[in-house]
Amino acid sequence: MANIQLGLMTRGQFPQGDDMQLRFEEMFEQIRLADKLGFSCITKGMHYSSWPLQDAQMVPYLSRVMAETKNMRLNMGIVLLALHKPLDYAELVATMDVLSGGRIIFGAALGYREVELKAFGVQKKEIVRRFTENIEAIKRLWTEETVTMKGSFFELDEASCSIKPLQKPRPPIWIGANADPAIERAAQLGDCWYVNPHSRNETLIRQLEVYKRALDAADRPFPKEFPMRKEVFVAETREKAIELAKPAIGLKYKVYHSWGQDTVMPEGDNNLDLDWEELLDDRFVLGSPAEVCEQLLNLHKTLGVNHIIASVQGAGMPQSQVLEALHMLGEEVLPYLKNA
Amino acid sequence: MDMQFGVMLRGLFDWDDDMKVRFNELMEQARLIDKLGYDCITKGSHFSTYPHQEMTQIPFLCRIMSEAPNVRLNAGIVLLALHNPMEVADYFATMDLMSGGRMIFGCALGYREVEYKAFGVEKGTGVTRFEENLEAVRRLWTDEKVSMKGTTFELDEARISVPLQQDPHPPIWIGANADVAIKRAARLGDCWYLNPHQKVETLLRQMDLYREELEKHKKPFPKELPIRREVFCAPTHDEAVELAAPYIKGMYDAYKTWGQDKAMPAEDRDITQEYAELARDRFIVGDPDEVAEEYVRYNKELGVNHIIMSVQGVGMPQGQVLDTLSLVAEEVMPKVRAA
Repeated sequence: MANIQLGLMTRGQFPQGDDMQLRFEEMFEQIRLADKLGFSCITKGMHYSSWPLQDAQMVPYLSRVMAETKNMRLNMGIVLLALHKPLDYAELVATMDVLSGGRIIFGAALGYREVELKAFGVQKKEIVRRFTENIEAIKRLWTEETVTMKGSFFELDEASCSIKPLQKPRPPIWIGANADPAIERAAQLGDCWYVNPHSRNETLIRQLEVYKRALDAADRPFPKEFPMRKEVFVAETREKAIELAKPAIGLKYKVYHSWGQDTVMPEGDNNLDLDWEELLDDRFVLGSPAEVCEQLLNLHKTLGVNHIIASVQGAGMPQSQVLEALHMLGEEVLPYLKNA
Repeated sequence: MDMQFGVMLRGLFDWDDDMKVRFNELMEQARLIDKLGYDCITKGSHFSTYPHQEMTQIPFLCRIMSEAPNVRLNAGIVLLALHNPMEVADYFATMDLMSGGRMIFGCALGYREVEYKAFGVEKGTGVTRFEENLEAVRRLWTDEKVSMKGTTFELDEARISVPLQQDPHPPIWIGANADVAIKRAARLGDCWYLNPHQKVETLLRQMDLYREELEKHKKPFPKELPIRREVFCAPTHDEAVELAAPYIKGMYDAYKTWGQDKAMPAEDRDITQEYAELARDRFIVGDPDEVAEEYVRYNKELGVNHIIMSVQGVGMPQGQVLDTLSLVAEEVMPKVRAA
């Protein structure tokens, strides 16, 4: 049996002018439903200055929604780690792990947007060093009583993480990566590569080899849990699913393009300023429940991923459609994935 | 008299304590505080607290939002010189939204070497960073988009990600011990958040400074003036002292190792004295009548109208905390309100 886990990303991004109080109530409703239906985790991403979208900040958001769910893991997917300080995040994440009863997944990646780098006073040329040092410091703070370590932008002088994570030795570290060198870094530093949602499958099949070679070089086994995020659009029929996806994907990818996401993606797969029909090709999971089952199983077979995190709500998609999609995924797709 | 009653959940425990159990106890405290009609729950912020454990402020306040749906939530205080303004502005915008506009933003400089080093902040740059960060946070909260060049950040048409619920923004309380810091609080904050460590006598002297500085900047005296204090209440005076003293003394020994005294004015700097001497004019510990009288005195002498009580010192058993919370709500609150 494949036993593929299905998680839910509540993106929490909404057009300007939307009533965010109302949208939050709706997201909480989605989360309670997902918990009941047997989804594996709630995932929230991180961006600053997300205009023209409204967004919720990950750490407060996940800390609040953990009260709405008893079973699901809480996936910080992903923290822009090069922007932050290691003692800060070691303590934030450890506290969240204790408050949630050991349900935290720590996802981390570099970050790429100019407005964010500037706002945090981080030079582009420093980000890899900052990221690498931060990961090392956080691992040590979680597992050692006191830590002395001099990084390029911080100094731990017998510093302690004020609270240790509940999960032992520590929460899983997933590393998000688009570009080949980032994937190699994920193999060296992370518990797994958290496969990104933007690349085409053929690109990912090539990059899987990059990942495996880097694991071999670091003498590390292939991870037991291999997660991937995907945009998933499910409806009674493929035609209806396409109608569902159209406005959501169109807006979302125009925004990514304006943020510069494509500048960090592999050559030949880096033009996100396309018409939605072209974006659809090989990039999204889309169709009737049976077709979605087929496509998810295919991802498992070709890439080895066994935890797929579905983004269901495109920007502006009404709540009723989201709940309907969650029901289909939970009731028709999940049982199939568990027994495939 | 008009008085708000707040509670600080310090969340500081021994290094080998089971934090999952302690957290469940804090949740029980939060539910009781909300039910008894207190006005706010406060959580402080410190990093690297060995040999104590502490829960981190922002996740903690967010987690208890659902347990305590009525009280205001006071981040008291954020060590603002250590953090980035974009991050802080955005976190509090999300928190204000999720709590339905219940956030209070407390901030101060911080003083511990280990924290400054860990955040890569040179001690001599703390004041500059604090002032720039506060200006940036305020502008991010009130302007549609912000361009501003600080010494360690550059906002380039940056914006917060969700609008604030409170108009124009959550109240900005500035924690201050030293005279210069109090002047800064007058100039930059919505109010000075009076500290728990100084004697009333010292605070009275500093209140004159605060008023002078407010006048200099043509700012009115704040409508809300909060203070934090160590508070403990039991049916009799002797019982209250006996139950509370060892834990309060323990806290002050910990503050000493952190170097808190170095950030305080000279007259109050000795915090290693015996409990009785330490307590005088500094802690509010006694039977309900005594505690109520002190609350009234603080209001009359200092003008404070929001007293935030820290109850649980490291190791104080849960039952004792719940008892004092109930006693203050049932016997002290009505007396103070009637005064």
